[in-house]
Amino acid sequence: MDPIIQEIYTGVMEGQGDTVKEKIQAALAAGIPAAVILNDGMIAAMSEVGHLFEEGEYFVPEMLISARAMQAGLTLLKPYLKAADVQSAGKVAIGTVKGDLHDIGKNLVAMMLEGAGFEIIDLGTDVAPEKFIEAVRDRGAQIVAMSALLTTTMPSMKTTIEALNAAGLRGQVKILIGGAPVTQDYANQIGADGFSPDASRAVATAKELISA
Amino acid sequence: MKPRDRVLMALSHEEPDRCPMQVSFTPEFAIRLGQEMKLGGDKLHNPHGGGNTYEMERALGQDLLLTSVGWANSYYQGAEDYVDEWGIGWKSAEYTTPFGVGRYTEINHHPLADDRAIENYQPPDPACPELYHEAEWMLRTFKSEYWIVGVTVTTMFECAWGLRGYERMLTDFALKPELAERLLDLPYHYHLTAAKKLTQMGVDMIWIGDDVGAQNAMIISPKMWRKFLKPRMANFISELKHINPQVKVAYHSDGVVYPIIPDLIEIGLDVLNPIQPASMDPVRLKKDFGDKLCFWGSIDEQHTLPFGSATDVQTEVQTRLKTLGKNGGLIMGPTHHVQLDTPMENFWAMVNTITQTPYAKL
Repeated sequence: MDPIIQEIYTGVMEGQGDTVKEKIQAALAAGIPAAVILNDGMIAAMSEVGHLFEEGEYFVPEMLISARAMQAGLTLLKPYLKAADVQSAGKVAIGTVKGDLHDIGKNLVAMMLEGAGFEIIDLGTDVAPEKFIEAVRDRGAQIVAMSALLTTTMPSMKTTIEALNAAGLRGQVKILIGGAPVTQDYANQIGADGFSPDASRAVATAKELISA
Repeated sequence: MKPRDRVLMALSHEEPDRCPMQVSFTPEFAIRLGQEMKLGGDKLHNPHGGGNTYEMERALGQDLLLTSVGWANSYYQGAEDYVDEWGIGWKSAEYTTPFGVGRYTEINHHPLADDRAIENYQPPDPACPELYHEAEWMLRTFKSEYWIVGVTVTTMFECAWGLRGYERMLTDFALKPELAERLLDLPYHYHLTAAKKLTQMGVDMIWIGDDVGAQNAMIISPKMWRKFLKPRMANFISELKHINPQVKVAYHSDGVVYPIIPDLIEIGLDVLNPIQPASMDPVRLKKDFGDKLCFWGSIDEQHTLPFGSATDVQTEVQTRLKTLGKNGGLIMGPTHHVQLDTPMENFWAMVNTITQTPYAKL
């Protein structure tokens, strides 16, 4: 690996946003393609962050600072990726469902998906089914990712899937769900395509859903 | 047997006549229950922003009565946006269940979001006499019968994240440790003052709390917890026991806290709450720590209470009595406020199985 790419990788792993930005500029000046910086430096680092999270080495603070460093780098890199016509891994509309204001889980999933090269449409919290529908119909989301912390708000996931069905959009979008009380059984029961128990594993599930 | 004697026996690792019980509710479930029980409409008190009244708790046969001082009382203050006495802003969202509509409140403004805001920040005054009027009254009225708990949950971490913002606070632990220490000190000093005052007034137990567990793992690493939270918790517990060596201390954290339980025992914790069974196996907890630690809670609210049958609830209560509650050491109840999506027959299956199952018949 190029030493500059290695420094970007380490910067993301350690959550050093300023270092990441500085090294990306150096890499661009050295003529390294934006796609290589993204894939070998940043996405590879976030993949390792996810791995360490699953292994119980990294926790939420470590994941957050890595994701922030990744985002800082991405902001700088985006125009170059666009110029080189680098495609995202897929477009995900994500939100915490209607009635639920908890956002940490949803934000972590969004950050990890972004860190894996997905384009994110963050709809926020307390998101009504119509907002998810708009994101699919008008903005081309390929995955709808829904989060809920509570049993009282979890049924909004079912309502949203029914609304996507009623709008005739269900066939063109995959549904990914997660949150403390959510299980694979519940995903099967409401007709979601995927379930993830944490932010890291959501990335693998989203990749499977896109390629299915 | 008097409720307070029942609790004291359980916390002394002995089996009382039956397992002691403590149950709290969201405001909307409490209204439903109050109507069913045809209660007179006693004034709400505030165990953690729920909808409990002492009248309802006593009518159900609860053994612990709670009185709360601190930031946790900022929950459920109203449907409109509001700002609490810490300067923390709140909003609410409506949800719908088969049994009606409810609201949750959540934080939407953090007064210390800016790094420099802490320099001029004045927290509320925990010495205000009116904060303790309810505790004075309930100790005078109920202490001879009931086990009285002074609640100072959201003790440091949760209140600090309210002040600072959740993700900001978590990244401060990693990137700005000195600021994180100063942020934690604000609620720590407030709630310690309140807990000491409540202990001096004669409560039987102080309940502290900070959620450091998520569903499948801790939110922060055990190493980070040991750096930032353990020393403060250790001092907190030690100061209370210095005032009254008999006072018990309970600690609440949702989710998985398995890796830090030996540390909690080491710093003098008596009772761990709420034991979410989907996150931590009650049988393993009892086996590993049951001789040194008591437990409080353990009835599943992520599946059994809202979605199980009354028989499922009854079976879960009986299973817990024979495992986590074997030889005492357990105060039983749901793992959080009973939520509005809970069928009334499930609620009664829980309460009736707890209150009508003598230890002698297990």
